[in-house]
Amino acid sequence: MTDSAAGGPPALPKNRKAIALLSLAGVFLAFYLVAHNLGWAPPLLCGTGDCGVVQSSSHAWVGPIPVAAIGLAGYLGLLVLALLGLQESMAGSRLIALLLFGGALAGVLYSGYLTYLEAAVIKAWCRYCVASAILITVVFLATIPELKRIRGVGRE
Amino acid sequence: MKNFYIVLGVVAIAGAGLVWWALRGGAGAIAPIDLGDIADAELVELAQGVVYGDPDAPLTIMEFADYQCSHCATFALSVKPLLDTDYIETGRANLVFHDFPSGQFPHSFLAARAARCAGEQDRYFEYHDEIFRTQMDWFDLESPAGFFRDLAAGLELDSREFRRCLGSDRYADVVTANRALGARLGVTGTPFVFVHDGQTLTFTGSYAFADVQRALEAAGSGN
Repeated sequence: MTDSAAGGPPALPKNRKAIALLSLAGVFLAFYLVAHNLGWAPPLLCGTGDCGVVQSSSHAWVGPIPVAAIGLAGYLGLLVLALLGLQESMAGSRLIALLLFGGALAGVLYSGYLTYLEAAVIKAWCRYCVASAILITVVFLATIPELKRIRGVGRE
Repeated sequence: MKNFYIVLGVVAIAGAGLVWWALRGGAGAIAPIDLGDIADAELVELAQGVVYGDPDAPLTIMEFADYQCSHCATFALSVKPLLDTDYIETGRANLVFHDFPSGQFPHSFLAARAARCAGEQDRYFEYHDEIFRTQMDWFDLESPAGFFRDLAAGLELDSREFRRCLGSDRYADVVTANRALGARLGVTGTPFVFVHDGQTLTFTGSYAFADVQRALEAAGSGN
């Protein structure tokens, strides 16, 4: 279950470093929105767009949970998985690869749905939501090499 | 790998710093916003005052006030009760409160928004009275957001909803519009009181009960 060449230590997947860094940025982004949703924060610093309209809409919440909190949990999950996947013992783990790819895919799909809501339903844009959509898309692209690990390509 | 953790640490510190910077204060909108080049009709639509008393009363006492101004507190706590007894409770007049954060004090705008947030829970004037009653307690605070939240809790408002409202930019546009409306009507100080008989807007001259009463009686008699 490793990507390593026979005999050597497993190569640490570089894409996971990128996933970890991007997910960490996503954690801060999502935390900022959660803080706003929960009233801990001043108004969103929103030079362009209608952050207030988006964040005060009913679509910013799923029941009692802010959508941003779902994003925060997602980014935290991806960060932890990426960091675990960077440990030598888990570098070739198919489970980590599967969870990373699946998590990022779920994130990009949900983010796509939220972007659709902004464009077609709320008819307003929040720069932080757009930034998160771009971020999760890049994270998803960074997880594509995980497909090889899921399929076991490169395993010894 | 060591370099990676250094970069990760730098991103973590930078991100935490940015979030801290963005979250400092925690008070929601504290200053007027830019309404752009807003037309009179649009401004009047946005600058809704808060009605106290019978909305269909023949006369309206139109007050523009700043929550941090001591004369406004005097009007709210000493003059308004007299007007209440003689005019509002009897249905002869109502009072429409308009925010006029003059810019002279740092917390007027937030206080106006706090009252609007209480208004969401149908407690506007109770909260309005409390803000004025406690004015000296929060006047010099660096940020009175916590005080305003406690005030809401003391009135048994839904604290979570109030906190969300106060921590947002909700009503920033309405309060800003109120101020802009006052400026267009010639409000130069606070409290600034007009009497409106449905057709004519008359400045009472001062906020003293006698002056407001005189204006009301004149308007009521068709003069």
